[in-house]
This record gives sequence, C-alpha cells and structure tokens, in this order.
Amino acid sequence: MSSGWYPPPARPRAVEGGLKARTARGAIGQTWWSERFVSVLEHIGLGNRLERGRNYARRGQVISLDVAAGLVSALVQGSRSRPYRVRIGIRAFGKAEWAKLEAGLAGSAWYAAKLLAGEMPDDIEDVFAVAGLSLFPAAAEELSMDCSCPDYQVPCKHIAAAFYLLAEGFDDDPFTILAWRGRDREDLLAHLQAASPGHQPAADQREQVGQPLAACLESYFSLQAGIPVTSPPVTASDALLGQLPAVSLAVRGRLLPDLLRPAYQAFGAGTASSSAQPAG
Amino acid sequence: MLVMHGFWLAEAGLCLWAEDSELLVKSSSQAYRSARPHPFAAKQATLDGIHAGKPGEVTLLLPSLRSAPLDSPELIRTPPRPPAQSASALLPWIVPVSCLDPVAALAVLSERAPGIRYGASISYLADLAEFAGELVTRGRVLPALVRDSEGAVASWRPVLSGPDVVAVHALTRAMPPVCRAVPGQDDPVELVGAALAAMVDAIARGELGAGPGLLPPRRGRRPERLSAIEAWLEALSAPEGRFDADPAELDALAGELATWEGVGRGQTGPARATFRLTEAGETAASETGASETGASETGAGETGAGEEQSAQAQDEPAGPAATGSRWVLDFLLQSASDPSLLVPAAQAWSDDGSLSRWLANPRELLLTELGRASRVYPELADGLRQPRPCGLELDADGAYRFLAAVAPALDEAGFGVLLPSWWDRRRKLGLTASASTPVDGVVAKASKFGKDQLMDFRWQLAVGDDTLTDAEIAMLAQAKAPLVRLRGQWVAVDPEQLRRGLEFLTRQPSARKSATEILALAAAHPDDLGTPLPVTTVAADGWLGELLDGGVPQFLQPLPASTQFRATLRPYQQRGLSWLSFLATLGLGACLADDMGLGKTVQLLALETALRAENPAAGPTLLLCPMSLVGNWEREAAKFAPELRVYAHHGPQRLRGPALADQLNDADLVLSTYATATRDIDELAETHWHRVVLDEAQAIKNSLSQAARAVKRLGAGHRVALTGTPVENRLAELWSIMDFLNPGLLGSSQQFRTRYAIPVERHGQTEPARRLRAVTRPYVLRRLKTDPAIIDDLPEKIEIKQYCQLTGEQASLYQAVVDDMMERIENTDGIERRGNVLAAMAKLKQVCDHPALLLHDRSAIGSRSGKVIRLEEILEEILAEGDKVLCFTQFTEFAEMLLPHLSARFGTNAGYLHGGMPRARRDELVTSFQSDEGPPIFLLSLKAGGTGLNLTAANHVIHLDRWWNPAVENQATDRAFRIGQKRNVQVRKFVCTGTLEEKIDEMIEEKKALADLVISDGESWLTDLSTQDLRKVFELSKDAVSE
Repeated sequence: MSSGWYPPPARPRAVEGGLKARTARGAIGQTWWSERFVSVLEHIGLGNRLERGRNYARRGQVISLDVAAGLVSALVQGSRSRPYRVRIGIRAFGKAEWAKLEAGLAGSAWYAAKLLAGEMPDDIEDVFAVAGLSLFPAAAEELSMDCSCPDYQVPCKHIAAAFYLLAEGFDDDPFTILAWRGRDREDLLAHLQAASPGHQPAADQREQVGQPLAACLESYFSLQAGIPVTSPPVTASDALLGQLPAVSLAVRGRLLPDLLRPAYQAFGAGTASSSAQPAG
Repeated sequence: MLVMHGFWLAEAGLCLWAEDSELLVKSSSQAYRSARPHPFAAKQATLDGIHAGKPGEVTLLLPSLRSAPLDSPELIRTPPRPPAQSASALLPWIVPVSCLDPVAALAVLSERAPGIRYGASISYLADLAEFAGELVTRGRVLPALVRDSEGAVASWRPVLSGPDVVAVHALTRAMPPVCRAVPGQDDPVELVGAALAAMVDAIARGELGAGPGLLPPRRGRRPERLSAIEAWLEALSAPEGRFDADPAELDALAGELATWEGVGRGQTGPARATFRLTEAGETAASETGASETGASETGAGETGAGEEQSAQAQDEPAGPAATGSRWVLDFLLQSASDPSLLVPAAQAWSDDGSLSRWLANPRELLLTELGRASRVYPELADGLRQPRPCGLELDADGAYRFLAAVAPALDEAGFGVLLPSWWDRRRKLGLTASASTPVDGVVAKASKFGKDQLMDFRWQLAVGDDTLTDAEIAMLAQAKAPLVRLRGQWVAVDPEQLRRGLEFLTRQPSARKSATEILALAAAHPDDLGTPLPVTTVAADGWLGELLDGGVPQFLQPLPASTQFRATLRPYQQRGLSWLSFLATLGLGACLADDMGLGKTVQLLALETALRAENPAAGPTLLLCPMSLVGNWEREAAKFAPELRVYAHHGPQRLRGPALADQLNDADLVLSTYATATRDIDELAETHWHRVVLDEAQAIKNSLSQAARAVKRLGAGHRVALTGTPVENRLAELWSIMDFLNPGLLGSSQQFRTRYAIPVERHGQTEPARRLRAVTRPYVLRRLKTDPAIIDDLPEKIEIKQYCQLTGEQASLYQAVVDDMMERIENTDGIERRGNVLAAMAKLKQVCDHPALLLHDRSAIGSRSGKVIRLEEILEEILAEGDKVLCFTQFTEFAEMLLPHLSARFGTNAGYLHGGMPRARRDELVTSFQSDEGPPIFLLSLKAGGTGLNLTAANHVIHLDRWWNPAVENQATDRAFRIGQKRNVQVRKFVCTGTLEEKIDEMIEEKKALADLVISDGESWLTDLSTQDLRKVFELSKDAVSE
C-alpha cells in the first residue's frame, strides 16, 4: 500500500490518559442507535476504513473528543510529536427545522423520558422523517472529514479512531447525536418544556450515618438502631437478568445473560440464606 | 468467661477478638497516649482454640479509663468490677485478633462455639451475613471483574435497589460502634459495603461450587489458555476468583461489563416514580385504600397526597358486566426522604416552583423515572405517548398482569408501587376437598373409626373459602378478563386455570377415600399434589374433621386414668391422655408440647398404664430422654405407675445381646438416653417397639445429628414426642421432630426450608405460617400454662422434685468424703461429733452441687455436675417460654461460678444477689429484675427470710440445694409467689438420686406423711442419728451415677 516515495508508517506515540475505546473486541455499537450509526457509515462506504481506527481507539491514541453543533473535533496522537487535529462535520439543523422536530418530540413525553433514561427512543427516526429530515447521515456527502495528518486517505486512521469513539459516546449518552445535529441536551429539554435550567442535585446525597465514635461511648458495644425485618418482593431469582442493559458478550454463540441464568437459578433453589443463628 | 467481639475489614475479613474475665483488668503501662496491649483481651492462643484464623494484632479505640478499657456489657465478672469513678474516654488498645476469610467467617457467624458469650457485634455481623445470603437467594447479585496490580479477579457483588437500599441503610445505621473501632476504618457505609461484598461473593461461590460451572459445553479439546470471558465465567464459580487471561482481552471484557457497572449501586435519588393502580371511575371509592407492597415505607399509600381517601361503602357487585372494567395506573413522584410525600404527575407537570423545596426539577425527574421504568415495564410506553402523561389506562387483563408480575418487578427495581388493598388479601381460585361419613347402610355398620375407614369424597371449586355454585362457575367461565367481581369482591381468575380446574372436576368424580388418604391430602403441599389449582381446604365431618381442625381434645371424652394409675389427672391431662390414645389407635405420631410443668410425664405414664391394662401382651415401649432425666422417669414411674415393669438401659454395665433381648421381653417401659440409644442403635432397632417416646424431643432438633438419624431407625407401632419447646430456635427443628413422628409428612427438609422456614422466619410471611399450623395441627397438642382453659385447672403453686444424677467425678469425690468423714464421726462424740456430722453434710451437699465447690480449683464448669447439666436444660425451656426464674443456693461460691457460665451459655445477663450486699444495691438488682428488660435469671445465695424481697417477675423457682427446712424453703419460694403474682409458680427442688439428698428428702416426706410432723429445725435432727443410720443416709446407692 505504501508508495516508494512515502516514508514507512511509524509507530504512534503512546498517550498518557487518552480516551480508550471501551470495547476492545468485536463490533462497536452496543445499542441500536450506535449500531445504526455504524451501519450508516458502512453503508455509505466508510465501513472498511473504520477498521483502521479501531486499534488506535483501543490503544487510547485519542486525546480529546468534543461534540458541538455540526462539528466533532478531536485530537489524535499519531507518530509525530504534535497530535493531529481531526474534524468531522455534519449538517446541523437550523432553527426552523428544529422547531418542527421539537414540536414532534414534545407531542409525546415518551421521547424525553427515554432520552433522559439514557436510551434513544426506538421510533425517533419517524419524527425526523415527518419533518423531512434524517437523524443519521444518509449519504457520504453529508459528512465532511478532515485530518491534519499527512495521510491522503480519507478517512485516515485518526478520523476512523474518532468515529469509533464517537459511536461509543452515542452509546453512553444518546443526547450526543442530537447535540451534533445542533441541539444540546439543555436546550432541547428546555424547548420540550420538560426542563428548567440547572442540573439535578447529585443523586447520591449520602446521609451522615456514622456518629463520631467519641459520641457513642455509652452504647459502644450495642446496636445503634433496630434491624427491621424485611419482606422483599417475590420475583424469580433470575429476574434481574431480564432487566439489565444489553451486553454483546457471548461464548460459543450464547449471550452472557443466558450463560449466567443457571447460576441465578441455582441461587434461587439454593441454601444461601440457611445460615443458622442458634441462641447463645 | 470469654466474650467474643468482631468487626469486618475489607483486607482481613472477619476479625475476632475477645475479652477474658480471668485476666487482670488493669494495664501495667501508664503510657495512655500511645496504644497499649489490652489488659484483658483474650490471648492469641485462646482465640486460636476457639476460632482459629490468621493471627494478628490490631489497635482498637475503646471506651476506657486511664488504666483499662471498660468492660463490654456482655462481660460478667465475679466479683463485679467496681463502677468507674472517673469519666471514660476513647483510648487505643492493642488487641490480638483471629482473622477469618469470608468462607470461614460465614461458618462462624452461623454456628457459634459453645460456652462462649458473643457480643452484639457478632450478632450484627451475622445479620449482615443473613442479608447477604438473602440477596444471593433472590438473585440480587451481579458478576463483576475487578482488576488489580496482580491481575484479574472475578467476583459477585450485591445489587441494591428499592427495598434493599432501605435495608442496607438500616443495617448501616445499626452498626455497633465497636465494629468500627479500628482507627481510620470508622465509616460504617464503607465497612458495610466491604462486608456485604465479601459475604455475597463467598455465598454465591458456595452455591455454585458443586454445580457444573457456567461455560457451555465445548467441542474438541480445551485450549491451553481460555479466552478472557471464559476464564472469567469459570472463575465465577470457582472457590477463588483470581484468574489469568490476556490483558488486552481483559480490557475488552472490562469495557463490555462497564455497562452493568451502574446497576444496583444502592443510590437513591431525591424522589422516585411511584405507580398506583386504581379502578377507573372509582377513584373515590373504597378500592383506592391503597397499600404498599414494598416493605420499606408502610402506610405511605394511606397518607398519600391527602386526596382520594374517602372510604365509601362497597358498591354493588357488578357481575359479568364488570369484567370489562377499566383500570388506571397513576404516575406519582415520591420523596425518598419523606415517603409520605406523594406528588401526582399532573402536579409535577404544572409545577410553578412550589415543589422546589425538595425537588430541583420535578418534570425532568419524572420523565427520567418513567423512561427507566419503561425498561422494566415496556407497556408503559403506551401511557407516555402524550405531552404530559399522568397515567396509563389498563383493561382487566393489563391490570391483572400489572398486579401479578409487573408490580413486584418495579418494586424490586426501586420504584414505588401502590396496589389496591384487596390485592394483598385477595382470594384466589382453588379447590376444596370435602369428605363425609357415608350415610348408606353398608358402611354405617362399620362405625368404628380407623385409618382405613372409607369416606365419601368430592372436589369442588372455590374462591378463598367460598365454594362456588354452578351459576358462579358459569359466570367465571364466560368472563373475558382475569379480574372478576364475585360476591362483591375482586377475584383474580386465570381462564386457563379455570378451564383446567373444571376439567379436573370432571376427571375426578366423587369417590371414596380412606381416612389415611384424606389425612395425607390435608398435609400435602400444593406443589406436590399435581392438582391444576391449589387446594385451599380439606374438610371432613366427624372425627376426621375434628382431627383436621385440631378439635380432637375437645371432641373426645376426657379419659380418666385407669385404676392402676396412682395419681389423679387434672381435666386437661385427661384430655391429653384421650388425645394420645386416639392418635395411638390411628397409628399417628403425636407431639405433646405442653408447657413445662403441666405434667407431660404423668400423661405419658397414664397412657402406658391404660395400654397395659387393656392389652397386657403389648410389646415394650422405648422411652429416650437426656441422661439427666433417667432417674426422674424411674422415680415417677415407680410412684404413679408401679405396675409398669421398667428397665433402664444405660450405663457401662447395661445389658447386651441375648441378656438384653430377655430383659426387653420382660419390660413394659424401657428407659434409655439419646447417647446410649445412638450407640446401641443396631441392637435396639432389632426390637419392634410398641411405641417409641422421645422425651425432651428437641434433642433431635438437628435432623443431621447422629441421635436424630438413629431414632428414625427404630421401628414402632406408634411414636410420641414430648417437648415443652417444639420450636426452640428454628422451624427446622419442628421438621426434624415431625419427620420422626410421621415420616414424610412435611416433605424433605429442603422442601420444608423453601416452603416454610425461609418464608416464615426470614420474610415474616403469614400464609406459609398459617399453612404450617394447619398441616401440623392434627399431630401437635400444645397447652400453655397461661391458657384460660388450663389456668383454672392448675394449682397456684406446682412443686416438682427434680432428680439429677452425679457425674463420675462427683461420685468418686462423694465416696471419698463419706469415707473420710465417717471415720471422723466414729472417732468423736458430743459437740465435736455434731460438728463433724454437719461438716460432712455440708461437704456432701457441695459435691452434689459441683466438684469445684469442694476442690476450690476455680476450674471450668464443663459438664462435671449432674445438677448443672439439668439446670441448663431447664433454663433453656424457661427462657424459651419467655419466663423468669429464681435460682437459690446456699453456697455463694456456687452462685458465683454459675453467674458467668449461665450468662455465656444463654447469651443473656443474669442477676446475682447475696447476703453480704448493701441494701441499696439489693434494691437496685430487684428493681432491674422486676422490669421487663431485666435479666431473666436471678441467682440468690442467701437465707431469704425477712428481707422483703419482692421478685414476682419470676414464675419459676429452683432450689439447687436443700435446706431440708420447709419453712426456709417456702420463704424463699414466696419471693416469687406473693400476692400480686397472677401466674402460677413452678417450684423445682433439685435432688441428687442415691445420695444423702434423696434419702433425707424421703425421710422428711415419710415423717410428714406419718405424723404430719413438720421438721422445722432443718438438719440438726440428723446429728442425733446413730452412726449406723448416718452411714445409711450418706451412703451412695448404685443408681446414683450417670454414664
């Protein structure tokens, strides 16, 4: 592949604290929407080249990745000392277009609810279609890609690595795709009238449960409160497996939840809570 | 005594340390700013002897005076440590610890060592372990991958959400401070987290250890190095979680598993979504008296947002038309900190900022929660297809599905669920079986009841307890939805179940079944019957119905004892006797579980006497009891049933082989001990016994014990268990006894655990408890001394002589004292002789109490005294009944020996009062004993005359040794038995058989009987006896010694 006059590929420099791809094996997208994004990329002919970015992404060569309206910009460490600047452009929708979209989304609390719960609503593309728009790029021309590296292939491995991480970012937060299309989370929620400014207070408001030891001298060896009898809900011992976010781990074609199911059934049938408590 | 304490550290596991009352209290070091060795912490070797683990030393911060840590409340010292004069402070002390890995730790927490007292910290950790076990049983765990410098570890971690978060919070708050006394390790949240994680991991592994592993079968050979995911899966069920895999593959695995990282991390937001199901158009009717299914915040539903609470009368039953009913699932937000604060969704949508006091952003939170909930409940999506959803409409099908399946899942996932109150006590479709005595002439002739009696039998469909009419069945069959109103109440009817139920009825036409079959049907668990619907009731008329309902004792004529029986039975004892013989006739095992003191022994002896009178050719009955009771049975049998031929089979000289066989043929009642019977089981099992009786049947409470397995080998026509405490600690004990009495009645022990023990004990469920009571009711007769029906039959004061036997050590010591003292008595006269006689008596009485009283060797109590062994058995019953007891002894040293021993043995405090105590201290002790929280055991070593002690909290009095002066003994007894005492008092006088105690007791009884002579001057009359007579009194008879 390398031409005679071009220097042979050099090893990229290692990056401390780079953004490592989470998925080190198999396909990227774990969710339907990032899968969909990747398949769109493949469909418009970028698929094979993305492979080249995978190792880069896994090794953590991507230093930073920012998603803004219409533009993803990333710094990727290559073999040169100066990291390359990667930009991936997409058409951000304009005010009028978003107004149409938001009207469609606001009609059903479903969309905001799913998004807030960390999922892309499975029928969101219909809303875009009604507005005559598309959430995902439909053709290669919709994407502009650009890297400061000397490689003339587009996408180069640096762009590919950025794509790779972008898809992962979509997995983590479906709002990212919408932000790329021109509406960040805050604005969108505000526009959907389902949000007011300001974030949730931290969910984990840990209550102070441990009195200072010096304050408990009188009852130092005793229980500090009663232990209530619990009556947990009665569900099947493997119910949890059905409620977990999907993972693509599998052994010989069997998915992880199915591999684990016998264990959970054994727990339910087992003697785990038989620990006796004889008096004295 | 030793008091064991513990704490859990992430890196060390369970760390055990102990206080040892034998060690000096004060530290020799004055350097109180730095950590000094804890002066009375048990030494490493002592710890190792009890719970061997990895030895170590830790510094603990303990409440202390300058020179020593304070005692834990569990530590008892004699004499007690003087109360602190100065204020206490936290000081560091170095303590030897024994560190146990999680597997060993779980074993210790569930099975403690005998003779050691365990502090609250250990019980607390045991509670944590129990909670961890429950999480595993319910599958609230997730596998995880932990990376550290050495590589990778596969582990199981707890998944905490919903009610479990509340439970962990409560556990964290309850932690005794001593569990976080290691400097720098005092955050209870972290400590509980670490302990739960380690426990859950160990328990889950234990569950999977024996299984086939989690890897799917492979074709071909196992590769040299497994892929990371395979190695991880394999390590999840291995004893150790550490595994080896390619680092890059591990990275990938970790990346994938990161998706599960956030699941069940026990975080609760400021509010959660709550779903309330109500009937549409009826929101103001009584059906909305919602109750919450979750255990976390009861009553939250009732206080609600204050609306919709008018309790109106039930509306008319609507019939089939109502099956098209509409239901609404309302969405609400519920505050986490104040669960009674419920905000309907509509209020959240239209919030003008008034909710901001507790919710920064109610709309966004509600949406997020609804989005999350839709993952558990996908149909929720339908309700969200509008701008401001407030609820979801459901048809009866949907409502049923929500009630039956979705609500528990939502609850478990951490959402609130409010269900109509009728759901909890809903009535389900089931089958009833009814049996009736045939009225046709053929069978009526064979009116004699018996196991094989045939009865008319038929199945019917029922809802709850109501048998359905044909019209109602037709109505249900037409109903299109599973929720149907029947007789004014909602009923959940699965059409498929109904169809199968009807099919079952046509397949099983009315027929006849034997009484045995019907009894088996009544006892069977629904899962084992193979009926398409659960069997809700098995009813019968006549004697069988009474048996099933537990009404037999009232139904039968009370049976007066036969003329050969030398005691008058009280009315309730006559009922007990008739019940026993009724079950004997049917060959059904019977558990007589009367409270102690109600005369189980007498009832059993009356049963045997009646049997022998009726059927002199009946084979022998084998009665097993603890060693300490053999003498008692012999004496009671001789007294009340002198015609019974009794043979006591125990001791090293017991008969064997043909001699034994001959003896058995000549005996009516064969007494033996559990230990002996276990040893001789091969020989004993060769005889077919007329009856096998287990006295103190809790001896076989552990079904895996050798004794329990041995007694089940004994063949018998009838089996009886006598016990005052059929369920001492755990339901499993009941299983073991019932399985001896009526093998198979309660299923296998594993089935029993999952069906009854865990639901009842762990989750406090009432339905399995009700079922268990119903199933065992025919076979258990339990009367409490507080029953109104009994209390009138009882005398106010029951006096019982408790016969004990000497241990071998006591006997040889006794003999030595007799030899020595008789020689002295022979060689002296006058005052000197008198003194020697009294000294001899004192010494012999001390030997009867405990050898250490004579030897003064401060050695362990162990099982060196027959009286102490029996005392422990009796106290166990008394405490199990929740009663309080006074124990009198003449010997201060004996009381001081018993005090720490009994405290450790029963894990409770005991009071102790002696003659040398100042008045104020006495009053304090008495007040404490009289209070409800006071110690259940009170030891007294004083001549209790004229001290004005009022100890009416006790309803048991035990005289460990005798004054032989009824006036003195009665005065002591009257401490408990006074005006104001509403309960009956049981008085037990301990007498060692074959010793001077028994002989003097007999002499007094004879004298009383002969001349109504009250010997008021106690023992001094004995000094006038001739040397020859004295020798007879002191001499040890051959039945004095136990095994």
